[in-house]
Amino acid sequence: MDQPRTDEDQQLVARTQDGDAGAFDQLVLKYTPRLYGLVYNMTANHEDTNDLLQDIFAKAYKSIRGFRGKSSFYTWIHSIAVNMTLNFLKKRGRRFHLSLDDVDASIQNDKEFLELTATSSPVREADLSELQRRLNEAMMKLSDEHRAVVTMFHIQGMPHAEISKILNVSEGTVRSRLFYANRQLQNYLDEFRKNPVA
Amino acid sequence: MDEFNDDEIGRLLRLKKFEQPPPGYFENFLHEFHRRQRDELLRQPLWKIAVERAQDFMLRLNVARLASYPVAAAAVLVCAAVLSLKIYQTPQAPSVAQIQSTVPVQSDWNLASQVSGVMATQPRPVFNANLSTHRKTAPPRYVLDSMPVSYESTLRF
Repeated sequence: MDQPRTDEDQQLVARTQDGDAGAFDQLVLKYTPRLYGLVYNMTANHEDTNDLLQDIFAKAYKSIRGFRGKSSFYTWIHSIAVNMTLNFLKKRGRRFHLSLDDVDASIQNDKEFLELTATSSPVREADLSELQRRLNEAMMKLSDEHRAVVTMFHIQGMPHAEISKILNVSEGTVRSRLFYANRQLQNYLDEFRKNPVA
Repeated sequence: MDEFNDDEIGRLLRLKKFEQPPPGYFENFLHEFHRRQRDELLRQPLWKIAVERAQDFMLRLNVARLASYPVAAAAVLVCAAVLSLKIYQTPQAPSVAQIQSTVPVQSDWNLASQVSGVMATQPRPVFNANLSTHRKTAPPRYVLDSMPVSYESTLRF
């Protein structure tokens, strides 16, 4: 995954710490799509994601004067996002409804999607909305911590080392969570494989 | 095909990247962020805004330690104030009850009055209601010197 240039972030952070609110706006614009994906795939709800994302940036703005640059801004803001989302999910519990975003039409031209539809019969037979529903249901059956690791690794393409820094756990823990989550996803998606058009 | 392997699961999950919010969402996000910040600022009490501004000022002066431990700093100041009050407090003189003799001095002494005089010169405790150790409202207490009759053994030899 292409990480944003840290020296550029450092400059924006320094300017924000000097009281330049416009510099923080640039950081917000830069990180909103990335953090949206992270929070959305952990909550599976657009409205919750929007509220959380606002809170995450508000907290970051309040805390940025205390940011001393021990980690990159990228790691720091992702840590805030993951921790706040995990806290939110604990409070929300199991009572929630899926509020999914539409699948972008550009998926039809995606190389991986084309490969999957060519090689995987369930993906070929199911329509896109059914595939989306099944994937999200399988994701939501994972524990919050496992879903966070799966989101960062599989969907956002972060390396293990970066995930371990964000979650403040060892790389071994990240790998074991990923292994366990993959096994669970295999079981949950097995039904989809057997019956793709349920 | 038996089941999805790790690679296929990864490729399936990567498709979730195509789930995107409505068009224009990211453009409006910053405006919404500013609006919420303004709203929050208006809802905050004045003292809270002042504290935040003061904290910002302290951080800019690079006295992070002092600003990050305001409670500890306040506690030290309070302790110092209390200790200085204790140290500089002048001790009060103890209030001791003084008994003044109320016996008149007899100037004309004779034999007839010897006994009574000796008795009279002995300092006798004078009852002073103000020095009473009992509450005025408390009823008098009677202490029995011996055991009650009913408690004595009837078979005493």
